[in-house]
Amino acid sequence: MRTTKKTSLTTLLKGAAAALLAGSLSLSSAFAADFPDKDLQGVIMWGAGGATDNVARALTPHVEKYLGKKIVLTNKSGGAGAISTNYVFSRPANGYTVLYGAENPQIHGVLGLSKLDYSSFIPVNIIASGTTVIVTRADKEWKTVKDIVDDVKAHPDTIKMGTAGPGSLPFVVSSMLKTTTEMPVLTVPFDGEGPGMTALEGGHIDFMAVGLTAAREQLKAGRLKALAVVSDTAVPGMENVPLITEDFPAFKKFLPWGPFYGIFVKQGTPEEAVKALTDAFAKAVAEPQFQDFIKDFGATPLNIHGDEAVQYLKHNQSVSAWLLQDAGAAKISPEELGIPRP
Amino acid sequence: MSTDLSYFLMPWLDPSLMMLTALGTFAGIYIGAIPGLSVTMAVSILISFTFSWEVNDALALMVGVYMGGVYGGSRTAILLNIPGAPSAIATSFDGFPLAKLGEAGKAIGVTTVVSFIGGMVGIVVLALAAPMVADFALMFAPRDYLLLAVMGLLLVGSMSGESLAKGLFSGALGITIGMVGMDPLTAEGRFTFDSVTLLGGIPYVVVMIGMFGISEAISQLHHLKDVVIRQDVSKILPSWSTVVKYIPLSIRTSFIGVIIGALPGTGGDIAALFAYDHAKRSVKKPSRPFGQGAYEGLVAPEAANNAAVGGAYIPMLTLGIPGDAVTAVMIGALYIHGLKPGPMLMIETPHLFWFSVGNLTLANIFMLIFGLMGIRLFAKIVEIPKGVLIPLIVLLSVVGAYAINNNVVDIYWMLGFGIFGYLLKMYGFQIGPVILGVILGPLMDVSYRRAMMSVNNTPDAFFMDLLTNPISLVLTLAILFMLIGQTPLWTKLKAGLAKAKAA
Repeated sequence: MRTTKKTSLTTLLKGAAAALLAGSLSLSSAFAADFPDKDLQGVIMWGAGGATDNVARALTPHVEKYLGKKIVLTNKSGGAGAISTNYVFSRPANGYTVLYGAENPQIHGVLGLSKLDYSSFIPVNIIASGTTVIVTRADKEWKTVKDIVDDVKAHPDTIKMGTAGPGSLPFVVSSMLKTTTEMPVLTVPFDGEGPGMTALEGGHIDFMAVGLTAAREQLKAGRLKALAVVSDTAVPGMENVPLITEDFPAFKKFLPWGPFYGIFVKQGTPEEAVKALTDAFAKAVAEPQFQDFIKDFGATPLNIHGDEAVQYLKHNQSVSAWLLQDAGAAKISPEELGIPRP
Repeated sequence: MSTDLSYFLMPWLDPSLMMLTALGTFAGIYIGAIPGLSVTMAVSILISFTFSWEVNDALALMVGVYMGGVYGGSRTAILLNIPGAPSAIATSFDGFPLAKLGEAGKAIGVTTVVSFIGGMVGIVVLALAAPMVADFALMFAPRDYLLLAVMGLLLVGSMSGESLAKGLFSGALGITIGMVGMDPLTAEGRFTFDSVTLLGGIPYVVVMIGMFGISEAISQLHHLKDVVIRQDVSKILPSWSTVVKYIPLSIRTSFIGVIIGALPGTGGDIAALFAYDHAKRSVKKPSRPFGQGAYEGLVAPEAANNAAVGGAYIPMLTLGIPGDAVTAVMIGALYIHGLKPGPMLMIETPHLFWFSVGNLTLANIFMLIFGLMGIRLFAKIVEIPKGVLIPLIVLLSVVGAYAINNNVVDIYWMLGFGIFGYLLKMYGFQIGPVILGVILGPLMDVSYRRAMMSVNNTPDAFFMDLLTNPISLVLTLAILFMLIGQTPLWTKLKAGLAKAKAA
């Protein structure tokens, strides 16, 4: 009798627990099904017309299809990405504010721009990574990067290398070149890759490291020529351009490195929301139409998320941060910020 | 040739393309008229909106918005003294005084016609000389941008009003405001006090809306009891003889607009300011003194900023390089639609060039039609009782300031600059030079440093370049002429020359 009673009590308790559990489960699944129950805000790190903006606007209509809600896109440029990063971080961690970012915040710490980097965010998707090429005007006599370096060493402080503001792709790759070759070149920073290439075509600078995305059409038209691909493995479509490591094996330690475009939400966002976003973005990035766009754009598709994306971000940050430290461009040592050497 | 013509006529013969262009132009005029709602923003929103459309349809709509928007900025500049867009700043200098004189209707009429003329000049240059102009634009070195910025800042002299000293102060203040934020070359924060918000700088449109809009609203409070100015709307279409009279000036300033528009670092706002200054220097007998309602002061900037549209298209279509912020977004739109903007664009998609030219022409005609429609109604805005008008101006300014970056902080900045601008006006400081400084200060700063870095920081090499490079030499001489032309030395020199001739 007693035992029966006890059993029934246990059963009751178990049942209650099960019910509770089931209830919470159904609640959470209901939540997952509910996300998103309103339109989202998409914050683009760079201004209208830039590469990040192009990727964001080409991708979002596909995402909306899978998400079932609109993503209202706004550009919040400024501070080399610090403004948008800080803005998204200041919003509630509920998955309704999504950051469309590029690689820049990864070195905001060492440059002393902002304390926030992507470790404060969850990567929903790393969409694609860019390839970097070293370009010069087609009528220049140089055939390889080695020719440039020799020429610079023979004529110190006269040859001009274009770059862009600290934290940008041309800036990082220029630092790689200068640390590796120690050549006495003049560096002239422009507002970005586009304005830099315009100056290159106008003859106001002599060579520049730029994303293939920006240079592709100029290369195809034969106005500019690529002297090297900044990679240690062959890049599809660029097989006839030598790898930078062929003449400068010391570059190996920096590679693979490249700019990337990604989608981020603040740390602490509920798992269900992250999952819903991750699924929608992964499907959208995989759409053939978007993949064609990425290829035309001169970027390499990645479509990674979760741990893989976190590892990717960590490696990228280690390389950039320590590179700047070794080049003497860092204001705060990566060691101080707990960024391990690659 | 016949294929070119058929591409040109594509938007004219397809009713749906024609409708989209018309719709875009109509919407553009009103987007342009509202401060803070910029054409750049409208076009980037249209990219998502037209994602699944045919590329030609999407372009037709965007081209319309662009053309209409550049023109639309003049509306609020004339009627309320709030430029709807930065390219209409110079329009307010003489446009608003005209509204105060009861001639708002005629002012808008003249503006519309010269905008059309400017637009056509831009399109013709685009159609006939695009590759040449593009190559010319590429020849501008950082030092040439520096010279352009310096030349622009000399306009302070013609905008200072009662006192040059006060004008210089305003200009310097503007430059300082423009410097706030991250230094683009070194990523160092300037005047940021370690605040991340300030790292992004103060958007100059915020300064513009505050200093023009809010300060105007506060100033109006002084005139609450004034008799409302009756607007004369009996004759809004400018007579043929008036148009003919302004044609030489519109053509001259249109060329300024095309060149400045084609330069990748400058756009319609700077073009309009240069054009205004040109009018002030070259027109001997304006209809009224400049700044008090001279039609010449309206004609020059409005012809120039619409001509800059065709100018900005030149490097975009021939080289894939944006001529201004809007064409930068358009390049993105072309990418998203699977086209490849760049030097090969005209070879791979040959229809696009003449299609764009045809489309721009069509949009320009629609701009003329829609612009002339409804002027009578618009001119009456000035007659709205102050008690209704002032809150409307404030509302418009707040919405505009927020819309730039969707940032609440910008509203506070805008209000702060509004009150500050009012105080400046009260004490006889002009607002024009402040805006000039905010726009041109940063251009001068980075161009100077770029120019010096290019010559390894050796001043003698820098000065040699100024004398040996043809473009730099012309610009340097122009600046020297502008400076010396205002001194007694020049008058003496001229007198001496005249004497020598007579003798």
